[in-house]
Order: sequence, then structure tokens, then C-alpha cells
Amino acid sequence: MKKVGIIIDKYHLKYKVTEFLKYLRSKADVSLYIEEEFLLNDKKLDFDENIFFLKAKGDLVLALAKLIEEETSIPVINSYKGSWLAINRFLNSVYLQKAGIPIPDFSLNPIGIPSTYHDYIIKNIIDQKNYKFIPIVHKENGQLKVADQRALDEVDKTDPRYNYLYYQKFIKSKFEYKIYGIGEEVYFSKQLPILVNPNKMETRKEIEEIPELKEYCYKAMEVMNLELASLDFLKSKDQFYLTDINCTPNFNYLKNGHQIVANFLLKRAKT
Amino acid sequence: MENLNIGILSKRKTMMAGKLKSCLKNKGFNISIYTLENLVINETLLNHDFYILKSKSLFFLYAGFFLEAKNKVVIPKPQISFIQKNRIQSHFLMRRIGLLTPEIYLGTQETLKNQLDPNEYPFILKPIMGSGSKGVKVINSHEEINSENNAITYLEKYIQGIHYNVYFIDEKICTLIKPPLANEHVDMKKIETPNDVKELIFKWKGYFKGNLLFGHLDIVREESSGNLYVVDPGSFPEFTNWKCDSSPVESICNLIIDNYRKTKDN
Repeated sequence: MKKVGIIIDKYHLKYKVTEFLKYLRSKADVSLYIEEEFLLNDKKLDFDENIFFLKAKGDLVLALAKLIEEETSIPVINSYKGSWLAINRFLNSVYLQKAGIPIPDFSLNPIGIPSTYHDYIIKNIIDQKNYKFIPIVHKENGQLKVADQRALDEVDKTDPRYNYLYYQKFIKSKFEYKIYGIGEEVYFSKQLPILVNPNKMETRKEIEEIPELKEYCYKAMEVMNLELASLDFLKSKDQFYLTDINCTPNFNYLKNGHQIVANFLLKRAKT
Repeated sequence: MENLNIGILSKRKTMMAGKLKSCLKNKGFNISIYTLENLVINETLLNHDFYILKSKSLFFLYAGFFLEAKNKVVIPKPQISFIQKNRIQSHFLMRRIGLLTPEIYLGTQETLKNQLDPNEYPFILKPIMGSGSKGVKVINSHEEINSENNAITYLEKYIQGIHYNVYFIDEKICTLIKPPLANEHVDMKKIETPNDVKELIFKWKGYFKGNLLFGHLDIVREESSGNLYVVDPGSFPEFTNWKCDSSPVESICNLIIDNYRKTKDN
């Protein structure tokens, strides 16, 4: 029986992986590395797992992923590099744009220097903590300004090094396209944008494959060294824009998602 | 001589950044310094020929990555500065190269308190993203480990021994003895560079294949074994304690211009 190591935090363990663990335990030995309880010591680790799966993105989780990659040949899904890039919104915007994937215009401005975009959304720069997108919407003189509460909280009021905001040009789109990439498999769905209906699952429905999005999905995952991701796209004037990429997607929203991910991990596991 | 427009990404306009500006200006170039007051990371930055990444604070690194992605030359390379900024990355890189580094521990406050052997103290607490001595302190017992919201804390085993601050600019190495955990600016005593320190510096520089023009390493020679442990790398020090031949500012100024020209020629 293969052995799968799950590197996770208490939040994800409590709320996100019940079905997944139940299924995985019927197919493999499972060991849990819980961020809040695990002591990482770089000289005293001995792994016998066939694969590791990251289901969190905290500092210890990333460090452990890096250690396993450096010291062993055990596959880590997702990689340290991929996870690090995914949580760094500005960096992944730079790399994705460089790779030719259309993303909305973006800039990093110090507090006090406003964006030059007519309509914009302020997003968090480091997407590492477990909390939801909380939009704050202002409409003034025909201008739309949206801010994610997390981005405003992220600004350190006492440390000028962190007095920056990430501005993304606002893309008006009828739907938000949610794409899951799991290895070579790509799953497509769409929903009303969260600003229209905050209950995203109420309007989410599976859709037929969109070849253009499939290509973008493959390319983005390759550029960022991710093997499992969810990607959000908006569409304006027949052009798709990648607005978010997540390295620890909630696969419970995908039909049989827990089984698909578990089977993918078992297939990718070292023999 | 070509009339280059050069941007300097720096926390401040004074000290090394100011000196570099004067040096480059005297050579006939146009220089702008971008600090956290005026740095907006967008296409407006593209009107310079190249950039000097003086600071490895996060937002300057972001600017460096952004510029490089837009095919602007950035010296030093942002990836090299980033590796030295992120202690996880630099720790494992040094191990890969074959350099000794202190044993590290990561965990929440509770985990560290419950699982660390009391006999293993002291440790050095360091920020994961950091450089130099900022946020660094000695931890002598469980009681001294305090982190906000039970956040992940990074500890290094404290190495008892002689602490060296070793600068290098191109092929020149300047070695000083420093008080433990002191920053770059305290008074230090210059010594002849020991051969094993020289070898260590060449090994470190060699990994970057000519892209590490200058920098420094904090090294400790362990009292009990005589082994050298690298405890902190620095991509762009102030060279406050450079007590060796020639002016560090002039040397760095020339190295940067040469490096830019070579990069453009390739």
C-alpha cells in the first residue's frame, strides 16, 4: 500500500478534507503533518512516504515542502515554488503576464498614490491565510472601486515597508469562470461573479470545455510549477482574463473532487 | 560615452545609495532613486535603461522581478537577492552547495515550548523573511519564545565561536571579526582572511556563475570543531566596515556598469 503524507493546518483538517481523507485512507496509508503541532528540524527527519500533498500554505508548510524537495526524491504536490508563487499575487501576476497569459493590468502603489485605472479592485498581495474574500464596494461618479477587506487588513499601519496596495484593473464580466486543473485533467464551471451574488455555489454550474481556457490553464500551471490548481477567469469583449490562481483549491466544490484528487495523488506517487 | 538613465531601488537616498548616485553621476549618467515614498510598480518604471537593486525589502524585490520580466536589466539579479532574503531558501541553498549552516527549527510557540529539548538552548530567533540583525535575538529558554497569534517561529542553533563579517567585491575579500549578532555598522577588527574562509567565499560565489558581483557573509567558526558555519548572507551591504584596499563605492560602481554592458552585449 502506498503511503501519502498530508501537510495541512488545523483549519483545512477540520473543514475541508473529511471526505477526501475517508476515501484516501481506504486506498493508502495516510500520515498527517499538522502545521500547528509539528516541529520541523532540518536534521532529524526521515520520510517513508511515496508522495506528499500540501493542503495549506503557511510558513511551516512551505518550509517542510522545501526540505522534502531538497532532501528526498519524493514528489510534493504542489511544489514549494508553485505554492510560494501562488500566494504571492504580485509575483504570479508578473510571471503569468510574461508567459503570455492575459491578466488584467495591475500595479503596486504606496498608500496615498491612487491607481490610474478608472475601475479597479484592490486585492491582497500575500494570499496565505485562511479567510474569505470580503468585498467593499464604492461607486463614485461612474467609477467603480472595489477593495478586498483582506488587502486593507494586510497593510501594516506601523511599518512603512508594507504600506502598499495591489490594484487590478476591474474587468466587467457576466460570469466568472472557475477552472480546476488536476494533473492533465481540466474541469470547467461558471457562476455569477461574487460581487453580483456572494453565494458563489448558488449559481455555479458545470460547463463544456473551453479550449482557450484549457490552454491558459496548462500554461499557467506549467509556468508556476503547479500540478493542482483552481483558476478564476473573467471575460470582457471576447477576451478572457485570469484574475486569480489558487494552489490549495477547495475540491469539494467539484463533483467527486475528493476522489479525483486522491486518485491523482496515488497515480503520481513514487513507486 | 552613452547617456544611461539608471534607477536605484533603495530604502533610503543616503548612505550607499547616495554614494552610488554620486559616483554614477560623476561618470555622466542620469540617476533616480526610488524609495518607498515614490516607488509605484508599473510601466512608468520602464523609462530607465537599467536598475540597481540596493534593497532586498519585499517591495523592491517585487519591483526587481517586475522589471526583469519586462526585459530590463536589474543588478544584482532579483532572484539572487530574494534567495538571500528568504532564510528557508538560503538555508537549503547553502546545504546544497555544501556549506555548513546551523540546524534550524520551525514551529508554533506551543510546539517549540513543548517539543524542544531544554538542554538544546540557546537558539537564535530570526524572521523568515529578513536580513542582517533586524528582529534577530538570542533565546535562552522556553519562556523567551513569544510569538503573536502562535505564529510560526524560526530558530537556529546558536553556534559558539568567532564571528566573521566577510565582504567580497569581485575578487577582493575583506574579513573582519565582529561581536555576535551585531549589525554591519559596529566597529570591527580587520584580519587577514583565513584560507578556509576564502575557499568558502569562492564556493558561494561560484554557485552564482559570475552573477554575484559583491556581497557579504556572516560566518561563525565553531569553537569546539573549528568548522565554519554560514549564519547570514547579504546581497548588498553598506560596506561600512570595508577596511581593505580601494573604495568599495567606486569598485561597485564600475562593476555594475561593466556588468550592465556585458549583459547588453550578450
